[in-house]
Amino acid sequence: MSLSHTTSLDPPDDRPRTGSDGAAPPLAIEGLSVRRGSRRVLADVHLHVARGEVCGLLGPNGAGKTTTMAVALGLLAPEAGRVRLFGADPLTAPDALRARIGLMPEQDGLTGWMTAADYLQYWAVLQGRPIGAARAAALIEEVGLAEAPKRMPAARYSQGMRRRLAVARALVAEPELLILDEPTNGLDPRGRLRLLGLLRHLARSRGVAVLLCTHLIEDVERIADRATVIVAGRTVAEGSLAKLRGHAAGRRFRLALGGPAPSLPADSAALLAIRHAGAEEALVELAPGVAPETVWRALLFAGWPIREVRAEQAGLEALYLSLTGAHDAAGDRP
Amino acid sequence: MSPAFAIARREGGELLTSPRGLAWLLAAAFAFTGFALLLVGSTQLGLLDNAQVVYDMAGMTIALGALLTAVMGVDAVAGDRERGALLPLLATAAPRRAILLGKLGGQALAWLAMVALALPYLWAVGSTGQNLGAALVGLVLLGTPVALAIGAGAMALGARLRSARAALLSALIGLMLVASPLAIGPSLRQSALGRGFDAVNPFSGAVNALDAMVIDGQALAAQGWHLALVFGWLALAYGLALRALHAPRRPGEEIVS
Amino acid sequence: MIRRTILAAGALAALFALAPPPARAADGAAPAPLEVTLAPDAANPPAPRMGDRLTYHAVIRNPSPTAEASGVVAWLTILRVDAGHEQAIDLEDWSANKALTIPALGPGGSARSDWSLRLIAPGTYRVLVSAATRDAPVPAIGTGAIFSIAPKPVVESARVLPVALGVPAALALLLVARLFAGRRGAAPEA
Repeated sequence: MSLSHTTSLDPPDDRPRTGSDGAAPPLAIEGLSVRRGSRRVLADVHLHVARGEVCGLLGPNGAGKTTTMAVALGLLAPEAGRVRLFGADPLTAPDALRARIGLMPEQDGLTGWMTAADYLQYWAVLQGRPIGAARAAALIEEVGLAEAPKRMPAARYSQGMRRRLAVARALVAEPELLILDEPTNGLDPRGRLRLLGLLRHLARSRGVAVLLCTHLIEDVERIADRATVIVAGRTVAEGSLAKLRGHAAGRRFRLALGGPAPSLPADSAALLAIRHAGAEEALVELAPGVAPETVWRALLFAGWPIREVRAEQAGLEALYLSLTGAHDAAGDRP
Repeated sequence: MSPAFAIARREGGELLTSPRGLAWLLAAAFAFTGFALLLVGSTQLGLLDNAQVVYDMAGMTIALGALLTAVMGVDAVAGDRERGALLPLLATAAPRRAILLGKLGGQALAWLAMVALALPYLWAVGSTGQNLGAALVGLVLLGTPVALAIGAGAMALGARLRSARAALLSALIGLMLVASPLAIGPSLRQSALGRGFDAVNPFSGAVNALDAMVIDGQALAAQGWHLALVFGWLALAYGLALRALHAPRRPGEEIVS
Repeated sequence: MIRRTILAAGALAALFALAPPPARAADGAAPAPLEVTLAPDAANPPAPRMGDRLTYHAVIRNPSPTAEASGVVAWLTILRVDAGHEQAIDLEDWSANKALTIPALGPGGSARSDWSLRLIAPGTYRVLVSAATRDAPVPAIGTGAIFSIAPKPVVESARVLPVALGVPAALALLLVARLFAGRRGAAPEA
């Protein structure tokens, strides 16, 4: 089955091009294409993050989320497209611009022999905004590391503690844009909720733009205002969470069957994907833009003993599974 | 405190305070000890005069220091990349030049630690010490650029190669090749190829200058070519490392993969 | 030292392979042999020890009143003359001044050269400086007085052993202390 690539679920004017103060948005990516050697890893990525907004960047493993982040940070030169970080090209922007960004990559990359306070003070110097011991202690407290022994080197931290220290590192220069790659990996449920709460607080109360790269839909659903879904190097959905949920509504249906469902002709693959088919029940997903009546008619025509049709609950997960499943089925790569 | 200084302190501090760094210095101390004990126990070596012994010890210090900076250089870029430490570092506001200078500063601290480690050995085997001064001057003035050039070259290599292991292997093979004049000695110059290699090799520049200063008693001022050679290599390696860490220019070019 | 050796070797090759034929006496006879005198420097230590330096001054003279001596090569030889240990010494570690060339010595002319030695090994030695040309293959030799080099312990075990054993021990202690300090921290969270 091949779904046509969905460039955006938003009308163009819905994208946060500038902040409320008219300043350039923290991050804007349009039509990004990246090639590594002969392989194209990103084909058509769009991503926008506005001030005070949490944007979830969703996608399966290998979809291109980390590559998109590398381009946004000016660490990888794109083949085509437009990338703007606070209105500037990250490849040519002055170094000081990066002080406005807090990064938490998937790997912590901490300096193991340093204590948390020493490490944060060291990092603040690199960001050009030195901090004192009091500010370092406040950051440690903010991320929930205050109970760790002060003289304990980071190498002896548990994975969860290291993640928290990585969060504190990202916050050390009071960034305007936070980019976090799988930030809740390794955190216990309490730590995860605390971190998500902190991110939401930073966005709401301090106006920080947060880009949350993850494959955990529940994290995005919990705190994000917008989401972008990247599949196989393309943005397949982008918009506010409400709109995405709405778009997902009415696309997945559970069918009660009177007997085993016969196989479908090949041309019906353009209409729907069958997620599950049993003797009495089937779960189907409609292709975007296809009217449900058309699908039911095709199924009945093919001999499906349909007795009842029930719409699945709408949600981001449904859309995500629909979009990523479509590409999985097609083995699609840019 | 500048970012370069902070990075240098971090990189150097790791060597001097972490068990891994101390283990490195301990291994180097064992090498010095082995050499010193060989001198005590061997009649043949015992007949060499102070200068020859001091020269050998100084050459050994440069070799061990270059080995240390080669490993540190690979680790500073390729190792950091594999540990996930390079990405956040490059995403800070610290200029690339400061990052490179900081990492080189850490290697310089490691090299100075190696020199400091070698000092008591040089004193012990230098006996009357009549050439100890020349050896120390030569060691610092010629060994430092050689060790840092090797370290910067290893950083450039680490940035280019995708795997830290491949980078380390390449750096060590390259170091063995470059440091071969130390082991081969004068017989290297018996062929035109060897003479050409000797003329452009930074290690040759350093050990030949040490030979002239420590054994032949020549003045430092007479080592202009050797000094120019080793500092030229340092400048070249620094340029290569800076280029490797700089913002990508061509599509698909990247620093962190 | 090394460069001088290379230069000397190159000069020798050039001398014998590329140099124009040397001028001969007007009657066509072989030129008169050169004369070499060798004298120690006044500052040389009277009782040298290993590690000391000795300097010798050589004067190479062309005694012929008419013929020019072209392509003069002079070289240093050190002979060990201890009974039972007689041998010619490899100059590698002893002197950077191994040989020199003089393009031409006019009739009655002379050239002065200094030869510096570093005393590497104990024993009794004699220093020779020889000079020859292509047409006077039997060299003229200037000899210095026999001298003895007193031994000196170049590596004193009383000095080496404490360093050789003490430094690794101190570092090992530091390493153990560091490892111990690293383990002392409270257990990380589960």
